[in-house]
Amino acid sequence: MNDIAPYIFLGALLFAIGLVGFLSRRNLIVIFLSTELMFQGVVVNLVAMGRLHGHVDGQIFALFLLVIAAVEAGLALGLVVLLYRRKGTLDAESWSSMWG
Amino acid sequence: MVEGTISTWSMLIMLLPLLGAVLAGALGPTVLKGRSHWPVLLGVGGALVGAVVIFGQVRDAHDEHQMVVPLYDWISTGAGTWFSVSVLVDPLTSIMLLVVTGVSLLVVIYARGYMRDHNEPVRGYERFFAYIGLFVFSMCALVLGGNFLLLYLGWEAVGLCSYLLIGFYYDKPAAAAAAKKAFLVNRIGDFGFGLGILLIYLTFNSLDYQTVFAMVEMGFDAAGDKVSTGRFTAIALLLFCGAVGKSAQFPLYVWLPDAMEGPSPVSALIHAATMVTAGVYMVVRCGAIFAASPTAMAVVACVGAFTAFFAATMALVQTDMKRILAYSTVSQLGYMFLGLGVFAAEAAVFHLYTHAFFKALLFLGAGSVMHAMGGKIDFREFGGLRRIMPWTYATMLIGSLALAGFPLLAGFWSKDEIIHAAFAQDWLLGTVGLVTALMTSFYTFRMVFRAFHGVTRVPEGVHAHESGGWMLVPLVVLAIGAIFAGYAGVTMHPGGFVGLFEPHGWFHHFLEPVVEPFKVNGVGHVAAGHVGEGSGWVVAHLSHYGLMYASSALALIGIGIAYVLCVDSPMLAAVIRRAFPRTHEVLYNKYYVDEACIRWIVEPLKRAGRFCVGVDNFVIDGIVWFVTAVPRGLGWGLRGLQQGALQGYAASMVVGLALLLVIVLFGTWT
Amino acid sequence: MTDWLAILIYGTFVVGGLGLYFLLPTTGRSTKMAGALFGMAALAGAMVLCGGRFLAASGVNAVFFLFASVAIVAAVLMVTSEKPVYSALYFVLVVLAVTPLLLLQQAEFLAIALVIVYAGAILVTYVFVIMLSQQSGPSIYDRRSRSPLLAVFAGFVSMAVVAGQMAVLPQDWAIRGTLVSANSAVAVTGVGVGNIELVGRVMMGKYVVALEIAGLLLLVAMIGAIAVSRKRVPADGPGLEGLPLGQSGREAPPF
Repeated sequence: MNDIAPYIFLGALLFAIGLVGFLSRRNLIVIFLSTELMFQGVVVNLVAMGRLHGHVDGQIFALFLLVIAAVEAGLALGLVVLLYRRKGTLDAESWSSMWG
Repeated sequence: MVEGTISTWSMLIMLLPLLGAVLAGALGPTVLKGRSHWPVLLGVGGALVGAVVIFGQVRDAHDEHQMVVPLYDWISTGAGTWFSVSVLVDPLTSIMLLVVTGVSLLVVIYARGYMRDHNEPVRGYERFFAYIGLFVFSMCALVLGGNFLLLYLGWEAVGLCSYLLIGFYYDKPAAAAAAKKAFLVNRIGDFGFGLGILLIYLTFNSLDYQTVFAMVEMGFDAAGDKVSTGRFTAIALLLFCGAVGKSAQFPLYVWLPDAMEGPSPVSALIHAATMVTAGVYMVVRCGAIFAASPTAMAVVACVGAFTAFFAATMALVQTDMKRILAYSTVSQLGYMFLGLGVFAAEAAVFHLYTHAFFKALLFLGAGSVMHAMGGKIDFREFGGLRRIMPWTYATMLIGSLALAGFPLLAGFWSKDEIIHAAFAQDWLLGTVGLVTALMTSFYTFRMVFRAFHGVTRVPEGVHAHESGGWMLVPLVVLAIGAIFAGYAGVTMHPGGFVGLFEPHGWFHHFLEPVVEPFKVNGVGHVAAGHVGEGSGWVVAHLSHYGLMYASSALALIGIGIAYVLCVDSPMLAAVIRRAFPRTHEVLYNKYYVDEACIRWIVEPLKRAGRFCVGVDNFVIDGIVWFVTAVPRGLGWGLRGLQQGALQGYAASMVVGLALLLVIVLFGTWT
Repeated sequence: MTDWLAILIYGTFVVGGLGLYFLLPTTGRSTKMAGALFGMAALAGAMVLCGGRFLAASGVNAVFFLFASVAIVAAVLMVTSEKPVYSALYFVLVVLAVTPLLLLQQAEFLAIALVIVYAGAILVTYVFVIMLSQQSGPSIYDRRSRSPLLAVFAGFVSMAVVAGQMAVLPQDWAIRGTLVSANSAVAVTGVGVGNIELVGRVMMGKYVVALEIAGLLLLVAMIGAIAVSRKRVPADGPGLEGLPLGQSGREAPPF
């Protein structure tokens, strides 16, 4: 194995699918899950890139990314719960009072 | 003069009152409360010490009678032109400083007692003292400043303080209107003053006193050309505009009587003793410029003489004590300008100095009466206060005698000197001065007799009482000054007036270096044959001593008429009033000057203002509306893009990113 | 750049995008079959791409194909599922499928951490929240996508462009793509260490400040999450009256 191209390709696909989910789904929880999917794509890419350069910094970045994901999950889900209590729905479309 | 001493003490003179003002203003509402007068009292006291030190320095100086001490650079430009904050110390400065700080200190002490109601500080007590401290700072800066820029700064700052203090009782509509009027009328004069300073800069390329006056005396401007007399006249008249406004000369005197709406200590300090004399100070300071223009000097003399006479006639029939004193101040300032105009600058400054004592005394005495009468000051509502307020009566009597020109008191010496100088110049000016002196003694004693003599009457529900020690001490001090201050300007001389006095003394020697320009040009001017036809006769036939006896007699006659009309047979006064109803009405209504101003100046301006508002509302606003219509329409069209939904914005972002990627990467595809 | 390669790459992304578009939930007639077909085609294309283009040169083995396919299929199912619980579970599957690929890259510690943290902790949180806030049965907003065509276009165009660029620079990648095995770590540190120790050394050495900051961030997030979720929120709309107006948004007493 001396070519990382397939990994980059896989990471790109995961990222793209996550992006589509983020943009098109209306359930707040699924939206956040889609961002986690995008994180997965980034993790795959980071590890592959780190190997390309021959050090483990990519993996460490991926670990920090894991921290960020955990933080985001904690806070964002707390906010989701608040939003749900307020409107009684998880529909992202219901939060559009800023409509021009 | 030691430069270090001068710079240190002149800094302290300016900064101590300012510090006091800041302390009173910052700590007054919360910490000091009823003790707010202390920082200002101590600050002004320190300034008085500084003034005495500087006076001692100037007096002991042997040959150099003028010293300029730069304190720090204010405006530096790369070209090397800079204005420095410098102080100029000479005899005139030191005398002005003594007058300003001395009267200020007494007024602050007085105000400690006056600004209280049943021993409780009035609302705004700390504000009052903060303003007073600020005023003393500004006035000292005006007097000390070594260039025209600092003069202008102090000039405007005292105007501001005057505005703030006239409007001290800002919830009283009359006070607010008076403050506004004072400010606006002063602005008219200050506009001319500012133009004059600009013209000085254009002509001499400098605003420094020493530089400018040196060039003026040589008669060359910065480019080395001869300065025409017309240019001097223009500069002098523009500067005089400022003096007319600040020192309440005709036609800009209208603000001063209204300014009496302010608290009485303010009237005594600002509108009698110090600020209004700033114009006189300025003309003396710029003596070289004024003396270089005979036209300007003639204008100064005529305006002064006319104002003195005009204001005195209005004072004859007023019934409000403070208003009488206000018109009297206008009239006395007119005397000072008359003295300046006839090249007797030292007499004018002498009168300024004596006037500060007795006029401050009279205003403070009137304030004492007002305090006792529960805010009433119109002597139709009270009378015979002599028995209730003996100290106030005694001190005011002394002040009134000094103002009336009673022989041997302060006002007599200085006023007489001005009249004498006026006769030397033109017999008409001198006659006006004499007639005004008669009227002065009449209206002054009319006020005294009506307020203090006769049957004791006080307004309903007022517990009349003598004022407390805080108010009486300044009155007594000023009364002593009103008696003896004049002797600084006379010498003992056997065979002189009443066999003892020669009306030319130490004061005049002291001021000699300052008024030199008036003498040099003035003598030449007289010698050039401009002397009025009649003056030769007067000077020849009426020696100075004779004039002094004559004016003494006039003062006594005025007092006598006042006694007859007000005490002895008041019916006679009513008969005279009925005999000349029109005259009385015109005088009582102050020649309808205010009404004419409103009708012919204020109303047209208001109409113009309304027209401008209309133009602004329809034309300007219309254009602005039209200009804003374009972005507003765009916004209206584009606001649909704001879906307000999180994913909408994210989608726009990603689409943008995709398009950018396509453009960047495919742009370099081949 | 050969034409067939470009056609293959972009074709794969176009077909894949179309498949995803058809698979996304809609209220109208179900298009899931078409979506599945398109998706299969795209997957096959991707395999050909990796196998034909890259396999010959690189020796990507069957393990990669297997787990990569599982990951992609699971990702698609996660995004298109109408039930959030299924989405969460499919996401676990994605994580589990990515883990062996990381092992292939000798990132053992990361792989373990990913399983523990993601499949363990984070997903449990998600499932809890789903249970707290989900009504019975799929709701209307789960059965309708929001502008799916735009989303698919944006996502797939950007990624297709990136992938296309990757394909036109094979030589560069091949030259620099001389992969370093775990032994190179020995060369770096001079000690015979495994991946976990190496990660530990680098993290505690070069990235120690970042590590501290990450710890602080976690602490802040923990406090923040508690603070946020304690807040009393009045419900909007009729029938869901909350607290009096003056108390809205105020924090509840801590105990």
